[in-house]
Amino acid sequence: MPADPNMKILVVDDMATMRRIVKNILKQLGFANVEEAENGQEGLQKLRADTFGFVVSDWNMPVMTGIDMLRAIRADDKLKTIPVLMVTAEAQQANLVEAIQAGVSNYIVKPFTAETMQEKLGKIFK
Amino acid sequence: MQQNGQQLYEELGELARFVEKAMRTISEISAPIVSGSAGLPMASSHLVDLNKMTEEGTLEVMRLTETIQDNRGRVVKELAAVAETLKTVDCTTLSMRVQSIAADLAHDDKYLTEIMTALSFQDLVAQRVKKLVAILDDVRDKLVELVVVFGIPHDADGIAATGKTGEMLKQLEESKTTSMKQNVADDILAQYGFK
Repeated sequence: MPADPNMKILVVDDMATMRRIVKNILKQLGFANVEEAENGQEGLQKLRADTFGFVVSDWNMPVMTGIDMLRAIRADDKLKTIPVLMVTAEAQQANLVEAIQAGVSNYIVKPFTAETMQEKLGKIFK
Repeated sequence: MQQNGQQLYEELGELARFVEKAMRTISEISAPIVSGSAGLPMASSHLVDLNKMTEEGTLEVMRLTETIQDNRGRVVKELAAVAETLKTVDCTTLSMRVQSIAADLAHDDKYLTEIMTALSFQDLVAQRVKKLVAILDDVRDKLVELVVVFGIPHDADGIAATGKTGEMLKQLEESKTTSMKQNVADDILAQYGFK
């Protein structure tokens, strides 16, 4: 299913700079309806309180990590179908395998380009 | 029996000499250990400051880049409207030139986005700095443990880092308060006749 440009997207990252970068790229790609959260716990709260079509999340975050948030999303009947893209500096093979097992929709290794984000979005919403 | 006693006496003597030597060595290195341990919290604090400084700088570059992106977006829209108007009044050549300018401007958007993504270096640097701070804190805890276990005399509040470490930390600390703001520099320059 192609991506709806009006869908609400949640960007979860503890670093303000990364949230802004992802938000900027999404805007350039035509997605302007973006919300932010600083960690997995805040992300989950926002996801449960509203309707989101897509989540972009970091891995390493205080309070609740991205992988724990992903597991919580997949375990929640209301949220489990939301595509989750992980954008992380955790570039070990074991991390990627762990994310796949947890149900990640795709995985981007930092640093990344807008083209990579576009390509991953294309694959998730084909 | 007497031979065993003699052997035990010699071994105890050797052990006593070993303990004495070890205590002497610990005593010699105790000052650098205490001093080094005292400088570590300050070093951690400077690393945390470093993270803040790079984050602030990066966010400012992002703000300016986004402003340029927005301005260009508006100009491209305006140019498209102008090109359309020119087409309706049969100024096809002019309309095509305006469209070409709009396309050139739109092409630069790619570079502006690349500036934004290149700034992700700050996130990677910050993550490494956080790990370094955690390592420094861990090393400090272990040094403090060593100081306590071996009863090395120290004054937790009064001690300061010495040697090269102490000097560098002093310079870093001073730079926080003695760095001159431009307006102060301008005032001084003005007093010396610089206009």
